[in-house]
Amino acid sequence: MGELLCLALLVPILTGLLSMFQTTTFGMKLINIIGSGLTSGTLVGIIYKIIVAGAVQYKMLYVDQLSAVLLIVVAVLTFTSSLFSVSYMEKELAHGHITFKMLRRYYGLLNLFFFTMISVVVVENLGLMWVAVEATTLASALLVAFYFNHSALEAAWKYVMVCTVGICLALLGTIFLYYAQVNAAGPHFQALSWLALKESSPRFDPAIVKLSFIFILIGYGTKAGLAPMHTWLPDAHSQAPSPVSGLLSGALLSCAIYGIVRNLIIVQAVVNQEFLQYLLIGFGMFSIVIALPFVLVQHDVKRLLAYSSVEHMGIIMLGFGVGTSAGVYGALLHIINHGIAKSALFYMAGIITQKYQTRQIARIRGLISITPLLGSMFIITILAITGTPPFGIFISKFMIVGAVFASGRVMLGACMLLLLAGIFAGMLYYCLGMTFGSKPKHPVTPLTIGKPAMLAMMVSVVLIVITGVYIPAWLNEILYQASSIVVGGS
Amino acid sequence: MNVVTILLLFTALLLTRVSGLRTAVYIILVQSFMTALACAAVGIETGEGHMYVAACLTAIIKVWLIPYALLNIVDKLQNVREDHPILSVNYSAVGACIAIVLSYALIDQALPGAGSRDALASAITMTLIGLLLIMTRRQALMQIIGLITMENGIYLVGLSVTKGLPLIIELGIFFDVLVAVVVLVILTYRLKLSGMSTDTSMLKKLKG
Repeated sequence: MGELLCLALLVPILTGLLSMFQTTTFGMKLINIIGSGLTSGTLVGIIYKIIVAGAVQYKMLYVDQLSAVLLIVVAVLTFTSSLFSVSYMEKELAHGHITFKMLRRYYGLLNLFFFTMISVVVVENLGLMWVAVEATTLASALLVAFYFNHSALEAAWKYVMVCTVGICLALLGTIFLYYAQVNAAGPHFQALSWLALKESSPRFDPAIVKLSFIFILIGYGTKAGLAPMHTWLPDAHSQAPSPVSGLLSGALLSCAIYGIVRNLIIVQAVVNQEFLQYLLIGFGMFSIVIALPFVLVQHDVKRLLAYSSVEHMGIIMLGFGVGTSAGVYGALLHIINHGIAKSALFYMAGIITQKYQTRQIARIRGLISITPLLGSMFIITILAITGTPPFGIFISKFMIVGAVFASGRVMLGACMLLLLAGIFAGMLYYCLGMTFGSKPKHPVTPLTIGKPAMLAMMVSVVLIVITGVYIPAWLNEILYQASSIVVGGS
Repeated sequence: MNVVTILLLFTALLLTRVSGLRTAVYIILVQSFMTALACAAVGIETGEGHMYVAACLTAIIKVWLIPYALLNIVDKLQNVREDHPILSVNYSAVGACIAIVLSYALIDQALPGAGSRDALASAITMTLIGLLLIMTRRQALMQIIGLITMENGIYLVGLSVTKGLPLIIELGIFFDVLVAVVVLVILTYRLKLSGMSTDTSMLKKLKG
């Protein structure tokens, strides 16, 4: 098992290094498809081991069922985003948007980004997890700024500044948590080790732990795109190359949520539950409220999807905020569903923008008559992400809303449903226009969708359709175990 | 330790009043040097070897590499000054004073009896002043300097409440700080290169 964990960290680094020395586009493609396949394969291996043997600790690495939930997201997205990158970047190269030298940089950074996200999920120590989360910002910052034009630079500047300041606050929170541990645990203890913290946390000073969690929540919450710290998110998501947008939205935001949850598990042993619930539900609800007006009046297709991510992070936070096992189960399932569906949407938006040469929603019309297959996949995924049955996201949203009502917060649940209905209407209004509207008068760029890109999108669409009707027993087991880790039953 | 923290506070207060970028980089250099000294002082106090390692790393990364990179970019930005910050230097100084009061209030409320009261208060003040600089300065470089001040402040909080973090975590933090500054310097350089101003208040095209 230890070997597998090391391998999962090593393969992306090696792939990245090898990509830096490629001289042909073909070599680059081959290296990256094989590399991401290997990475995902290793991650699947780790998930399998967790199902069979449960939690495993290996030196500074530790994985349990909660990590497995995130590993599923990262494994799927690593594979699909690499596949999609191959076709997408080839088109960008052909259009003359980028040079071959930039391609090397792209794949180098992309693999570094994979590495940092995997490290967030597999490290055991909360201090090191902070280091890894900050590293994800830095690896992805240059990907956001990839085209180095005015808007990309602006987006990247905001991204690094806002997230680094946020994450500095998380460091302050982590230091306070460490202080609580030092005070409570006596001379011999493992500093900031998650397992040690979990075991000794009931003895911590509640006042300090409370303070530390506020900082940690604001810090990682900035990274997770929770309102009102979400300001970097739509800019970064809209300016990054599409495969990277998909990764940012699907995997990176989830990793930041994971950081909050790991800390939450420690903190809830000492701090009173009600305070934590108010905090999480407050941030969650506010994110949904903020997302609504921006979804309703949006001109840019990628920003539309980005605000939808803010909304979904809010829903996930609500799920954790309710704190019952049903709510947490729903939130964890929602992380998986949202990751896969949103990344697929960003991939599709990438192809659409390449075809129409614009991100303006008003100028994208008649998608289904130009490419029927892409058009129908787009509309299926949009229906899925807005929470229409019978797709997976409907089930996880339904569970979260159900949990909110079951916990006696009827008004909150009702407000949430209203807001979700508003967002549904907004998303569907724009996306139906893009898919079915009359064919554009000006000719679109003739563009065949590359096979790898098609495969990447197909895989995602098939997955979101399947999770809507059938949750396999092993996944149910992982989610159940993970939610009992969070709730504190086991 | 107390002399060092007073000097650190002085550098942070000074930063609210400078408008020359080069001067600001020199101040940050002195500030980081003081941080390294504080780190070594904690090493002497506790007798833990790893604090010396951390002090050396602070010296190498924050006193040598980061100012080197910043001075490099200052050379490229000729005649750029922070002349009209969003909050004028006088008000910034008032803001810094408020930060001092706030941080004493905060630690007395939230962390009574943690480490040395004055050292902790000046650390929190530095963090707040760093934040103030990031929010109220237009020049990209001044924002980077704000970020480093904030980082130094947080590091000092760590030193005063827990005598530093475990070495492996500190290594990671140092590495992250270095890379963050390098990334920001690259972005600043690109802003300059693409013929745009490094005035970040011009960065407001993306909206809605």
